[in-house]
Amino acid sequence: MTETLSLMGMGFVNALYPVNLLAMTAGVTIGIVIGCLPGLSAAMGVALLLPMTFSMEASTGMIMLGAIYCGAIFGGSISAILIHTPGTPASAATAIEGYQMTLKGQAGKALGTACIASFFGGLLSCISLYFFAPILGQLAMKFGSPEYFWLSIFGLTIIAGVSSKSMVKGLMSGALGLLLSTIGMDPMQGVKRFMFGQSSLYEGINVTCALIGLFSMSQALVLAEAKIKQRAEAAKFKDRMLLTKSELKEIAPTIGRSWIIGNLIGILPGAGASIACFMGYNTARQFSKRKELFGHGSYEGVAGSEAANNAVTGGSLIPMLTLGIPGESVTAVLMGGLIIQGLTPGPNLFVGETAKMTYTFFAGFVLIQFFMLGIGLLGCRGFAHIARLSDAILIPSVTILCVVGSFAIHQNYVDVVIMLIFGVIGWLSRKFGLNNAAIVLALILGPIGEKGLRRSLLLSGGDPSILFSTPVCWVLIALCVLGVLSPVLMDRMTSKAEE
Amino acid sequence: MYGVCAFFLYMTLQLPKSAQIYPLCVIALLAGLTTLHVINMIIGALREGVTNGLENFSGFVPSQFFTLLAMIVIYIASMPYVGFYASSVVFMALSLLFLRVKIWQIILSEIAVFALVYCAFTLFLEVRLPSGTLWGV
Repeated sequence: MTETLSLMGMGFVNALYPVNLLAMTAGVTIGIVIGCLPGLSAAMGVALLLPMTFSMEASTGMIMLGAIYCGAIFGGSISAILIHTPGTPASAATAIEGYQMTLKGQAGKALGTACIASFFGGLLSCISLYFFAPILGQLAMKFGSPEYFWLSIFGLTIIAGVSSKSMVKGLMSGALGLLLSTIGMDPMQGVKRFMFGQSSLYEGINVTCALIGLFSMSQALVLAEAKIKQRAEAAKFKDRMLLTKSELKEIAPTIGRSWIIGNLIGILPGAGASIACFMGYNTARQFSKRKELFGHGSYEGVAGSEAANNAVTGGSLIPMLTLGIPGESVTAVLMGGLIIQGLTPGPNLFVGETAKMTYTFFAGFVLIQFFMLGIGLLGCRGFAHIARLSDAILIPSVTILCVVGSFAIHQNYVDVVIMLIFGVIGWLSRKFGLNNAAIVLALILGPIGEKGLRRSLLLSGGDPSILFSTPVCWVLIALCVLGVLSPVLMDRMTSKAEE
Repeated sequence: MYGVCAFFLYMTLQLPKSAQIYPLCVIALLAGLTTLHVINMIIGALREGVTNGLENFSGFVPSQFFTLLAMIVIYIASMPYVGFYASSVVFMALSLLFLRVKIWQIILSEIAVFALVYCAFTLFLEVRLPSGTLWGV
């Protein structure tokens, strides 16, 4: 306990280093810009800027990526409120009330509410990050090879099942990712598999290249396929952005409820901010004393949606950091960031020297929320203009950043080609309803599962009963079954929230 | 998906026997799931009638998409020969011209993107970007 408290304190001291503060400022600003541009997503932004964190300390790099994540989730609300186009799917519910407020000449108040609710949602989500992450981490310390095998299967079933409209397509995406993860050296026998004569594929497909391709390059291709349209002009506003004491008092319970909803959804692998915003909005409406305002510009509705989607951020980091299971696309990309830094997501992040990095990141994540509040309130007017940037300019700009980013990883041209191939795979996968997050997850978890399975069988002399030998294995098997069945539950949750 | 399975199956069969088991299991899994999806599609078609399956391609502009894709491929293919900066400047200018962006916006975009790339990758990360074999560097 004392050790944890001292790590927490030290984390804050480290997070306050000027370089980390600079990373927070840059990350939040870049994140808000990416978030407020309709067509660009948080996952894409984090993937695109991943290579820039290579030369940074692990904690600074993670703080910057976390800042982009939080900034992008909030940034989506700016275009949702001002031009009625959510910058990210996480702000879809915000557009309903936010734009109505803009039409009533209350755009400033809507933006202020979004900013404050996002701040509290994100800040409160850090509590669960501090509380649950070390507990789960300690539990995961007891895992052996069979448990790791089942853990990777659980991760795959839940994301493949939950995050696609069709469960079979989700599982197909996972299987495709698993197949691609076999490229490289066989982990047990040292045989070269599907390397096409490229020595750079010795350690398998570079996850960062795959991430940039699947999330960023494919997004550029998605923008390239449709007719370029002029975006609506962002509404100009002159009203106050800061809320009065009584208004703050009024939205406080809404923020509290949305925090709990968003946090729980964040912890659940597969569910994300886009579901949370509708659930937060819906709950705000149910409990509101002024229900008649909903649909006509209710700032409680904006607060409910924005607090919930930002509360997802802290929660979604828990399964990724403790078990090595990213629950959604952004955390899969953040996991790539950890891997690049030579760290293995999982319980080891809470032991020894690495724990210092982890707690510095946690503290940084708390501070990021304050930066988001400050930059959000001060810069909303400027960000509103950026939201109008045309797709025509974004397509070549994003492509160039993808090329330079993937090249920078190993200063290797083959990585650029791999990135492009994954870009096309990602685009095709979107077109045919497959799931890019599941492909990436399988790419990351495939080698862990393969090693776990083959090592277990080696230890037992080929006896598969070792995979069912401990109670933890059975718990994980039960979770896998639940993962496969979860689409039914998730469908009900989504349709109920959207009603 | 069947094509991917067939391609990987062909290559798996070239591997030593002991190294074939895991890839074969994954190929079988992918083929099985694809078959399940095909069966689902057939059942759906029998129940609700056959659709053209192009719902996800509404608003798709083939000429624009394939021209831009070709530009991207040529840009990446030419990068080792022409160099990163030269190929990127030309690619960006041509694609923006193709998308009918105004000249002053093209110039501004080029300045913004290359200032960012130069500061972040060349100065900060010290990445040695390809300078192009054509120029003898």
